[in-house]
Amino acid sequence: MKARTFQGGAHIPHYKEYTAHLPIQPMAIPDHVVIPLLQHLGEANESLVKPGDRVRVGDKIGDSDGFFCAPVHASISGVVEAVDMFPCYAGGERLAIKIRREGEEQSFAITDQINPSEQTPEELRRMIREAGLVGMGGAAFPTHINISPRSPVDTLLINGAECEPFLTCDHRLMLERSDDLIAGAVIMMRCIGASRCCIGIETNKPDAIELLKEKTAGRNDFEIVPLEVKYPQGYKSHLIKAVTGRDVPRGARSADLGCVVRNVGTTIAGYEAVALGKPVIERVVTVSGPDIPQPGNFTMRIGTPVDFILQQCGVSKTDGYKIILGGPMTGVAQETLTSSIVKSTTGVLVLPAEMTYEEEAFTDCIRCGKCVEHCPMMLYPNQLSVYAEAEMMDELLEWNAMDCMDCGICAYLCPGRRPIADMIRRVQPALKKKQQKKTG
Amino acid sequence: MEQQRLVITPAPHLKSGESVGKAMRDTMIALVPVTLVAVYFFKAYAIFLIVVCMGTAALTEIAFRRFKHQPHRLRDGSALLTGLFVALCYSATTAWWKGALATFIAVGVAKELMGGLGWNRFNPALFGRVAMILLGPWFVDIGTEFMRWNVNFGPVDVMTHATPLAMLHQGLEMPAVGSLFLGFPGGAMGEVSPLALLIGGGYLLYRGHINWRIPGSILCTVFVLAAITGQNPFLHLVTGGLMLGAFFMATDWVTSPITEKGKVVFGVAIGVLIVVFRIGLAPTEGVAFSILIMNAFVPTIEKMTRRLPFSEPRKTAARHITLPESNI
Repeated sequence: MKARTFQGGAHIPHYKEYTAHLPIQPMAIPDHVVIPLLQHLGEANESLVKPGDRVRVGDKIGDSDGFFCAPVHASISGVVEAVDMFPCYAGGERLAIKIRREGEEQSFAITDQINPSEQTPEELRRMIREAGLVGMGGAAFPTHINISPRSPVDTLLINGAECEPFLTCDHRLMLERSDDLIAGAVIMMRCIGASRCCIGIETNKPDAIELLKEKTAGRNDFEIVPLEVKYPQGYKSHLIKAVTGRDVPRGARSADLGCVVRNVGTTIAGYEAVALGKPVIERVVTVSGPDIPQPGNFTMRIGTPVDFILQQCGVSKTDGYKIILGGPMTGVAQETLTSSIVKSTTGVLVLPAEMTYEEEAFTDCIRCGKCVEHCPMMLYPNQLSVYAEAEMMDELLEWNAMDCMDCGICAYLCPGRRPIADMIRRVQPALKKKQQKKTG
Repeated sequence: MEQQRLVITPAPHLKSGESVGKAMRDTMIALVPVTLVAVYFFKAYAIFLIVVCMGTAALTEIAFRRFKHQPHRLRDGSALLTGLFVALCYSATTAWWKGALATFIAVGVAKELMGGLGWNRFNPALFGRVAMILLGPWFVDIGTEFMRWNVNFGPVDVMTHATPLAMLHQGLEMPAVGSLFLGFPGGAMGEVSPLALLIGGGYLLYRGHINWRIPGSILCTVFVLAAITGQNPFLHLVTGGLMLGAFFMATDWVTSPITEKGKVVFGVAIGVLIVVFRIGLAPTEGVAFSILIMNAFVPTIEKMTRRLPFSEPRKTAARHITLPESNI
């Protein structure tokens, strides 16, 4: 079967060999966790606890009445030490709850086992919201909103592309928890009323394609779709285009196109939320890098501090290294090792300086056209970078700077080492304001 | 674990490792075959002119960038490459000061004064070469004055050949197409061997520095038009600066269109102009003029061949979908 794909994009070395073969292992539980109250795209939660309160693993500790919101839960049992500003995974500081570990009972007690097929879609969605599910591939959009489409949806798309280099957590999940993945997909399909489910997997994971094909053999509502190995194959709009062939116009939500896209980790968490009543208190994270003594795919509690993770993996030297939360193309370089992982953290990467080209002077655009050739959004990054440097807002809008989804291919390829993606990222907030003024 | 210095730069955190310097070096490597053929034919004359031009290019860049209070960028090799290109646009026995002056105009005026690499609208080497043709009448007197400073490396017996295109115009007996293709010591140094240029062009294509659309459309257009007008199309492909122009000059990153369709439009237009120049006008430097003329149209071509973004699949598509009032 021919692998499907989209136009544009680039082949980037995937560096997955460090961890692709390593089974998922539980990581030790840290003596404290820092859980940000806002880990999703939307409105912030309010703390339900105050310093001194005792919490058990799985207790809800933050929630809000807002619609665009997913609650947060205690990922370890212990005592709330502080509700304060803490270094945030996305840079800067954010309101977070710090819990110090106390007591031996640290694993989540499954209270009631529920048969998902006996529940109404409304009930399933409520359970998923209560469990605090968000997109675990990086976008962190509250899942219960995704699966409450206003228009009919025929297809559930499971995103197993994992196109970012280094990351292998979804690959391992597909191999080791394929039954839960399929069960989770069935739950999601019931929520959205979809009649079929496509699982898109890049062909550099042949074992996952093979296994899932085997597991879904005889089911005609499941289809395993091999995808060409190309970055950014796992972006929502490009996955829809590649798998279904449907165009994704500006401003359209996936549900408007008859699709809902869910990441592998999210789907499995959805199964746990419904069948076991287990909230998102842990996730699988890839810890990788060329110099890490013990890289791997680890189940770790939400809020585990980065320095603890590095310690567990045997990293003793971080001087001159770049520590990234997320993938190497879109993740955030950390200013401090005291920040902690959140629901959407896919990886903890330790990259040596020679890999990252630290602070190199960049040249003027020499119009080589590589960024144009490979831009998956079919933009003109060369023009955008020049306009962004000069802050020419009208030109930026005219050349569709707001379409840029920050995949980073332009900056990756640029021979002039121009930080094109970053330049566009910086002007986008101002552009959005200007756009709203124009239309509103 | 003690707190140490962490590297903090924005995403993406990986880089492909490409650089301007590497690309320029690759282009120089691609020019090695034709340079070797030129040296084989013209011996010391070729080496001398190339050294003069590349040296002038380096000095010009240093001087102009100092004038602009900027550090020189000799390390990226762009100036040296321009110098090499200028040298290849001249025949080996050209007076050295002509090559030096052309290089000075190319690097100083056509590149640095235009804002530096990336902002020049015209191919610097061709601009320098053509400027010297147009300024030619001024140098008649100076030429005789400079005569005594001309260098003489002794006779090279192949030097007496006229350019094949001139021979074609004058109705002289032509060498066979095959021998012209392999190597023929007439005209400029960069014209001596289409085969060597093809090898170099192939290398650039392989390394991904140039796109097939520009050379492909130029060569096809010239071939077809030459055939239509009753000329020997193969002869047209292997003579003059066509190969050098198609693979090395017209494909210059800065001065060619960035859009895919635009590259084809650009190439076809250059091909048409080349045939018009060759058949209708003087036999020399039609390629250089054609490319420079089309350089001026690059912004227009790009504007006209702009592609639709991913988010505008078809102009009408957006209408079929009811957009939500709020986009989060």
